[in-house]
Amino acid sequence: MVKDRKIVCRCEDLTEEEIIHAIEEGYDDIESLKRYTGATTGFCQGKGCLMHILRILAQKTGKSVDEIGITTQRPPVNPVPLYILMEGEEE
Amino acid sequence: MKIAIIGSGIVGLSAAYNLANSAEVIVFERRYPLYGSSGRNSGGITPMLGSKELIELAKKSIRIYDSVQGEVNFNFLLRKDGYLKVAKNDADLDELEKEYHLQKSMGVKVREVDPYEIKNMVQGFNPKSVEGGFFGEGGVIFPWPVIWGYEKGCKERGVEIKPMTQVSEVVVEGGEVKGLKANGEFYKADFVVNAAGAWSNEISKLAGVELNNTIIKEEICVLESLKPFIDPYILNVSNGVYLSQSARGEVVGGILGKEVSNPETSSSLDFLIKYAKRAVEMIPSLKGLSVLRQWAGVYDSGKDGLPVIGETNVKGFIQANGLGKYGMTIGPAAGELVAEVILKGKTYDKFSPERF
Repeated sequence: MVKDRKIVCRCEDLTEEEIIHAIEEGYDDIESLKRYTGATTGFCQGKGCLMHILRILAQKTGKSVDEIGITTQRPPVNPVPLYILMEGEEE
Repeated sequence: MKIAIIGSGIVGLSAAYNLANSAEVIVFERRYPLYGSSGRNSGGITPMLGSKELIELAKKSIRIYDSVQGEVNFNFLLRKDGYLKVAKNDADLDELEKEYHLQKSMGVKVREVDPYEIKNMVQGFNPKSVEGGFFGEGGVIFPWPVIWGYEKGCKERGVEIKPMTQVSEVVVEGGEVKGLKANGEFYKADFVVNAAGAWSNEISKLAGVELNNTIIKEEICVLESLKPFIDPYILNVSNGVYLSQSARGEVVGGILGKEVSNPETSSSLDFLIKYAKRAVEMIPSLKGLSVLRQWAGVYDSGKDGLPVIGETNVKGFIQANGLGKYGMTIGPAAGELVAEVILKGKTYDKFSPERF
């Protein structure tokens, strides 16, 4: 039976249930929840999962999406291979 | 007895953990645990260090990690696959050899390795990129569960941890600490511990005590996940580049930091360019891997490269900072020293705030 397994983060293979469990464990702000579950730290860097995580966090805590905020957005926007970066000029 | 600790990094929490059974402890955190360098570092730990004091604390800290993760029931993902220091030139290799003799004399397991042994040890390593190196005890720990574990252990022992609570005033009367003000509220305390890492200089000023730790900014990035193929943590002492592979398979690496005047954590493209060149020179097969994410962290170091741990000329105001790049390596043992300073009035000459 897999009907309750709602995948919300495909990179790290996280289900909605696992996110809820982490929130119940006390990791109930967006930065702690990210680190504890690994959500938003995989190959997509949050592009696929951040909105799901926000929705679940808002539903569980009763806070608005604005109150929760989003995780610090870190460069690069998309993955960049080292062989391309190597071509850059050092300061 | 009431103790107020400022900072919920490895030092603050380890101190709180060791004080919890003897005092009423509150930990004040300006942001959230992991915001500072304890949440931003690459988790390399080793007793292959350059001074007797640091080696002792590092050896002790590994033992503490082994026992605390059981006590608090939290897996720190401590992988002891060794620590590899490599050098690109003879001068740096000579420095490593000096450290090696000191480390050996203190019972650290470490040996010299030539470039071809390193190639056999690390798949894809370019033996022509280094002159030689030393391989010894150590490995990689995941800093996040360390902090969560200590946090859990502290709470179970009655410690209160207050995130998003900024200390605005350390209250001192007649040369003695009376408490502190945070988020507009007064908290009475017999001891105030300054474990604020890169922000320790600012906290110290609140108590009217000069600290003048060096502030260092360092950048790190994560490459995509691969099946584990790099066992040891690798540090190139000549150009500062370091990297290792996490338990999740990501290659995590950075370049040793530089002194800055203020703690700030912006990321730079220049770092990625430097890192790409130096990491690929060492392990050419990394060149096809992509950078997923980069960030920066700030930490503080005592002026002479040793931590600052002890009571100041303000009675009850305790420094517990300046661990430099060795925070995860010596933090657990440093926290024990802080507890000894407070509970037994101990002083440690080499770490004393009065030594400068």
